Amino acid sequence: MIKAPDVNWLAIAPEMALMIGAFVLLLLASFIRGRDRGIGTAVGLITLVVSAGFAINAWTEPATTTMAGAVQIDQLTQVVTVLIAGCGILTLLVSFGWNRMRENGAEFVALLLLVAAGMDLIAASNSFVTLFVALELFSLSLYVLCAFDGKSKASLESGFKYLVLGTIGSMVLVYGAAFLYGATGSFGFEAINTALSKAGSGDALVILGTVLVLIGLAFKIGVMPFHMWVADVYEGAPTNVTGFMSAATKIAAFVALARVLFDALPAIRDTWAPALVIIAVVTMILGNISALVQTNLKRMLAYASVGAAGFGLIAIIVGGEAGTRGLIFYLAAYAPMAIGAFAVISLHERDHKGIATLDSIRGWGFDRPVAAVSMVVFLLGFAGFPLTVGFIGKFVVLGSAVEGNYAWLGVVAVVASVISLGYLLRIILAMFDRGAKSGVMMAAAPGMGSLNLAIVLCLALVLIGGILPGLGLDWAADAAKSLAAGR
Amino acid sequence: MITISTLIAVPAIAAVVLLVIPFARQAAGYLALLVSLAVLGAVIGFIYRFEPVAGYQFSDDVSWIAPLGVRWHVAVNGVSLAMIAVTALITTCALGFALWAKRDRSHASFALILLTEAFLFLVFAARDLFAFYVGFEGMLIPLLVLLVVWGGAGRKFATLQVIAYTAFGTLLMLLGILYLGLTAPGGPNFDMTAAIGRGNDWVFFAFAIAFAIKSPLFPLHGWVLPAYRNASPEVAAVLSGVASKAGAFAFLAVLVPLFPSQSEKYAWVFIALGTIGFLWGSLLAFRQPDGRGVVAYSSIAQMSFIVLGIFLLSDRGATGATFQMVNHALVSAALFLVVGWLETQVGSGSFAQLGGLARRRPVLATVSMVLGMAALAVPGSSVFASEFLIMLGAFENHWWLGAIVALGVVLAAMYMLRWISAILHDRESALAGTLNPPDLKKGALMAILPLVLVLIGLSIAPAQFTDRVDASAHALISAAAKEAGR
Repeated sequence: MIKAPDVNWLAIAPEMALMIGAFVLLLLASFIRGRDRGIGTAVGLITLVVSAGFAINAWTEPATTTMAGAVQIDQLTQVVTVLIAGCGILTLLVSFGWNRMRENGAEFVALLLLVAAGMDLIAASNSFVTLFVALELFSLSLYVLCAFDGKSKASLESGFKYLVLGTIGSMVLVYGAAFLYGATGSFGFEAINTALSKAGSGDALVILGTVLVLIGLAFKIGVMPFHMWVADVYEGAPTNVTGFMSAATKIAAFVALARVLFDALPAIRDTWAPALVIIAVVTMILGNISALVQTNLKRMLAYASVGAAGFGLIAIIVGGEAGTRGLIFYLAAYAPMAIGAFAVISLHERDHKGIATLDSIRGWGFDRPVAAVSMVVFLLGFAGFPLTVGFIGKFVVLGSAVEGNYAWLGVVAVVASVISLGYLLRIILAMFDRGAKSGVMMAAAPGMGSLNLAIVLCLALVLIGGILPGLGLDWAADAAKSLAAGR
Repeated sequence: MITISTLIAVPAIAAVVLLVIPFARQAAGYLALLVSLAVLGAVIGFIYRFEPVAGYQFSDDVSWIAPLGVRWHVAVNGVSLAMIAVTALITTCALGFALWAKRDRSHASFALILLTEAFLFLVFAARDLFAFYVGFEGMLIPLLVLLVVWGGAGRKFATLQVIAYTAFGTLLMLLGILYLGLTAPGGPNFDMTAAIGRGNDWVFFAFAIAFAIKSPLFPLHGWVLPAYRNASPEVAAVLSGVASKAGAFAFLAVLVPLFPSQSEKYAWVFIALGTIGFLWGSLLAFRQPDGRGVVAYSSIAQMSFIVLGIFLLSDRGATGATFQMVNHALVSAALFLVVGWLETQVGSGSFAQLGGLARRRPVLATVSMVLGMAALAVPGSSVFASEFLIMLGAFENHWWLGAIVALGVVLAAMYMLRWISAILHDRESALAGTLNPPDLKKGALMAILPLVLVLIGLSIAPAQFTDRVDASAHALISAAAKEAGR
């Protein structure tokens, strides 16, 4: 008989909670027709809070591995779990008034919980097998979420495109992992690291495997030149899902990259770092330039998020304690700004009953001052203005670059930031265009309250994180120590 | 006891309250005015308690973001207190003018002006580079919204220009700040004192470009004209009066003390650019077709002149530059308010539409005349005193530098006289004749008069001012002056 590996159930409780919640909802789905929205949201919120609670509870526990070393539970896992749960909660609030929630709320929330579980597992992965399974768990569920608005062709197209291109990314990743397995004889990150430390990067199999793994993960992060899916998927997906994607997917994919590069491949840093430098420079500059010419707000912010991913790469390139802390804080800082910005777009879409473009938002800021001012704060946060959490994120990442002798990458990032102001200001200028009458219907749609609550919560997070970020920086520093590079 | 921190916090908190609660125009206006008057009173209290010595006083120093080594460290010396005082005064006048001008959505506009004041206070008082950066970059946020929402016809282009220029400069400075803060011995430390003398040439220019853009120093003045033309008058007054002074102030109080050897080494660059900017701006001011254009270009000229004064790295230059910063702040703010008032009455600031307004309008004529005389530095005026100090410093440096600078002062007389005659004298234009605007009175006058009175006060007793800032100004440039062997 094959002996099953020991499982430390308490350690993986956050992920288990999410999966149990998802399955409970799927089972309930057929009984609660008509009350989908309320019950789905309630179960979703409770599950996310429970999962975050388990993670917080385990914060002081020493790092541990379980399931025969396939899963590692450390403070990085806990931080990611809490962050993803936070993104999920905000997304549920944004989604509450969405008409699809009324019809298929239980399924929507269940899928969201599965996505969260997959993302948490990515942060916990300690081998390419776990990484791939977790990646597919969240990707497959996310494909469906993107296509969830079945009546909208754009949504279906978005889901389909994401499915095809995302699968290519996954396949390339698996292919690369297979080569690495061939070269080192293991899927486990530690074993790969040990083997590579001895052998070095001379082996062609290692080079090929590393390149393919990098390409696979670059697809998921959405950096150039593997970003082509981002704008289409972001544009077509339901806006609440877009917000979740831009925040949570970025966290998960970057943490996956960090795990692979810092835990499994640190010995061949000289091989992958130069490639990432080129990708980062190209992505920051071209991503922001591409955003300049967009008129659809979701596409514009999609390219902005491509540019932001390029900026995040700086932290990976620099590595070390400062770099990893910067990366984690930057990802956490990006989340409320992204979810908030897309929540405001959601609100506008409901007001306007159509897609959000630079034309449609003209003068809208005067009708919805709170949402519009929040949008200004989120956009200035993207640009890294002081008193927003985006500034602190930029500060720590640029700081790590200056410290790590990559100051010139910092200069590139500065140029990219100035370019980004070009389109961020266009949104602000359009929202507060006095000359235009927005002429929208200000109907009090149901669920507007929770959407507004989500916006205000994001606003509060962005401002508090920008003024008093000390605690968050400490947590990020602790989590950074979980990665080999941060120790 | 009122501390510098409270001074910064009060307008900021008042701004948030005004933003969140949609007060009616009158209520919001009087509340904002009350807050700014209280702040002004507190500042006068500080001036009263101030000891005229070199060091920083009224220091608040607590940990802010411990993991980054960032502290909330604010304190003032003579130079920064002078700037804070003039900021408080101009903000009050700008609010008064905004209340008189009856802006739409006024509670938000009052709030943003107060927010700008708070950020400016932070710039002038910060002793920690992080806090300084927050103020320096942060003040762009309210100014940006003020320009976008209440600006004139060309506001979009103006906003893009302002933000693109200044953000580029400040972000470069951010890299410099990170370098200084993170390479500090004994862990990250962003305190300015800890950064003295540790920067290299790259870092020096990262700071210098940011300050040169903000000042503005020739040739980085491209954003100024669209911004000053399109901002509402009270915002233009704050922009040209104090926001741009943040750049010149930072040259004197941050760049020169932090980088003494580089400041000495590259002083010639700033002297050269300052001289060119002074002459160039003055010439262009002479050619402008409207009131705002003249004030805008004269601002560019005067700011270049001030930067020149700073980089003379002499006591006279430093004190003169500080005095000139205050004088020019008062003059340009008041001029923008006068031009703004004219625009609301006549519907245009173009000289072609104005003229002959002195007749039957004694108050307007007197106020404009006093301001004009101050701006062209008539002997006896406070501007004369400060320009004279800088000129003296220039002569000490090189006789020919003094001679060139004197030429610029003559040009200033030319454009200001043209400004006065185009508005007050000449033939009355058809438009002004038919509209027959009233004399400057009540609300608008109340907003402009304090600036004029303070100018007159400074003219009567300039020593009251220079005695208080002398020691501080000297301390700021002394390390660099020592490098220069002076």
